[in-house]
Amino acid sequence: MRRSLTLYGLTFSLPLLIWQLLFFVFPLVFLVALSFWTVKNFRMQPDIDAVNWVTMYGRPLFWQAYGITFAMSAAAAALVSALAFPCSYAIAFKLSETGRRWAVFLMVIPFFTSYLVRVYSWQIFLSDAGIINVMLGWVGLGPYGLLNTVGATMIGYLTLTFPLVVLLQLFSLAFIDRTLIEAAHNLRCGRLRTVFAVIIPSARVGLVIAALFAFILSFGDFVSPIYLGGGDPTTLSILITDTTKSGQQWPRAAVIALTMIGTLMAVAFAAVRFAYKGRTK
Amino acid sequence: MKNDTLVSFEGVVKRFGEFVAVQRMDFEIGKGEFLAIMGSSGCGKTTTLRMLAGLEAPSEGVIRLSGKPINDLPTWSRDTPMVWQSLALFPFLNVIENVEFALKMRGVGKAERRRKAEQWLDRMQITEFASRNISQLSGGQRQRVALARSLVVEPEILLLDEPLSALDAALKVRMQSVLKNLQRETGITFVYVTHSQSEAFSMADRVVIMSRGKIEQIGTPKEIYRTPRTRFVAGFLGSSNMFTGKVSGSDGGVVTLDTPAGALRLSAAGMPQPVAAGQTATLTVLDTKTDLAVTPPSGRVNTLPVRMIGEEFIGATATIYLETADGQEIRIQKSHEDLANLPLQIGQELVAHWSYEDGHLVMEE
Ligand SMILES: Nc1ncnc2c1ncn2[C@@H]1O[C@H](COP(=O)(O)OP(=O)(O)O)[C@@H](O)[C@H]1O
Ligand SMILES: [Mg+2]
Repeated sequence: MRRSLTLYGLTFSLPLLIWQLLFFVFPLVFLVALSFWTVKNFRMQPDIDAVNWVTMYGRPLFWQAYGITFAMSAAAAALVSALAFPCSYAIAFKLSETGRRWAVFLMVIPFFTSYLVRVYSWQIFLSDAGIINVMLGWVGLGPYGLLNTVGATMIGYLTLTFPLVVLLQLFSLAFIDRTLIEAAHNLRCGRLRTVFAVIIPSARVGLVIAALFAFILSFGDFVSPIYLGGGDPTTLSILITDTTKSGQQWPRAAVIALTMIGTLMAVAFAAVRFAYKGRTK
Repeated sequence: MKNDTLVSFEGVVKRFGEFVAVQRMDFEIGKGEFLAIMGSSGCGKTTTLRMLAGLEAPSEGVIRLSGKPINDLPTWSRDTPMVWQSLALFPFLNVIENVEFALKMRGVGKAERRRKAEQWLDRMQITEFASRNISQLSGGQRQRVALARSLVVEPEILLLDEPLSALDAALKVRMQSVLKNLQRETGITFVYVTHSQSEAFSMADRVVIMSRGKIEQIGTPKEIYRTPRTRFVAGFLGSSNMFTGKVSGSDGGVVTLDTPAGALRLSAAGMPQPVAAGQTATLTVLDTKTDLAVTPPSGRVNTLPVRMIGEEFIGATATIYLETADGQEIRIQKSHEDLANLPLQIGQELVAHWSYEDGHLVMEE
């Protein structure tokens, strides 16, 4: 059923609509226009020319960065989901009411400090003379080159997404009907099997949305790949800064940004479809 | 223990912290029996059933299944499938997958699983909904899926926790006969928890009446209806008139009870313990066995002057509300023909009477 817009409804949704228009739709339209501009003698000129698209999409370097960024954020989403699940499961099902409240509070704390600060502190841990290598040195190991690796970038992605993923998973687990779990046990489904046969399917929407958020945040992240990964391999976010630095190529950077937005939209759409698959309500 | 006993509760107690939800329960459930556990909300019915299903551990006592203690057996190692009040169907599985679930957990092969599930869908007349989502089914259809899901493993016993409470009245009656027939045909022991007297009495072979965590009476519906053992049961059934007083004499098998309404007499035969003078006791007499007259009839020992205060007609029976001399309200249920010759007006002075054998004595504990 479609309801017609009422003045009352409009009053409340109008500020949000204006906000969306100002800070999302207009910049996006501008970005699309920008991607068709041209750069002559380090100066941008309004134009309608597909040259930026052709140049960028014709570069193997671009596709390499695209593939790596996609693979790394997909891996981060899978990894953080897998690591967060036992944690949110324990919070949802094994803790008392008070314990659960504390756990939620602890998961909110990381948001108090800037992500950049948290990434810098990881440098202190991971660098060649850092805390981890010093400790390994005590037992006669290392030093290992931990910083400026893909693994370090992954640690950064986890730092960025873990608390949010735990919270999102937790809320989907908290709303599972406990009698479904008892019903499964009662029908001879053991404890571990119930996790896969009942709990994960029941919480599916929340789990997929949590993984989607992890993917989105990692896909666009600039901080971890540059400060922990050392800029190698090049991700799309790094490629954007490189492109803008080299000869005022803002239009080409716009091509990369638009490709990223398009990818995220496609992934989000696919994820939501997958999450709600087989549900009719 | 008898040979045909499937389940026995021996001194079973369940506490939640300080709160005693179930007090010392001793009873047995026979093989192939339809047992109803009845009582008002919060009296411990679900807790009793959950202990039998292994979802709650008894604080004291032993529960045996086929003679073996099962206290320490987790629910997934027992064959005590349960039908939940909320049904607890899996919303992420379709109808046939729900029914197959228990078979899958037992490692039954795919083809065999499908075949058995289809058999039960057919039996419950829901074959056409096999690939539907649970959310697309009506209440009655869901009920059938829940039954099929539990029965597909052909258990020895099925536990049901108020399974019909969400259905409308007409559907309730239909499902009652479905359940009763199912139980008769399969021979599976049903333990049926309900707060509804009509459900318990129309389906069950035996009824357990509970109140505040305690068993008040166990018996066939007929026994309980005719001879309620405690004042609680008589009051709960609501189908008896009750007169409480002190025993003033007990000789030759005749007990005399002094009540505010007058001296009443009844037979002491069948009383579990001897009745002594001075004890407090209650006489119960079914409202259908209580008669009305204009003048005291000869040959009846129990007659009470009463005044009519109200009437109610439902279908073929009439309920007449009366007040005794001391202000107690009593009730009579009769067919219209039985009442045809009486002057029934509000305020009319009449005589209530019943035969000596129809009164039952309930001792105060
Ligand atoms: N897990 C529990 N913790 C504490 N009290 C409970 C719990 N389960 C049931 N109770 C209490 O035990 C009593 C009996 O509950 P229940 O068996 O569900 O009653 P019924 O099914 O007869 O309505 C109720 O007073 C209820 O509040
Ligand atoms: Mg209950």
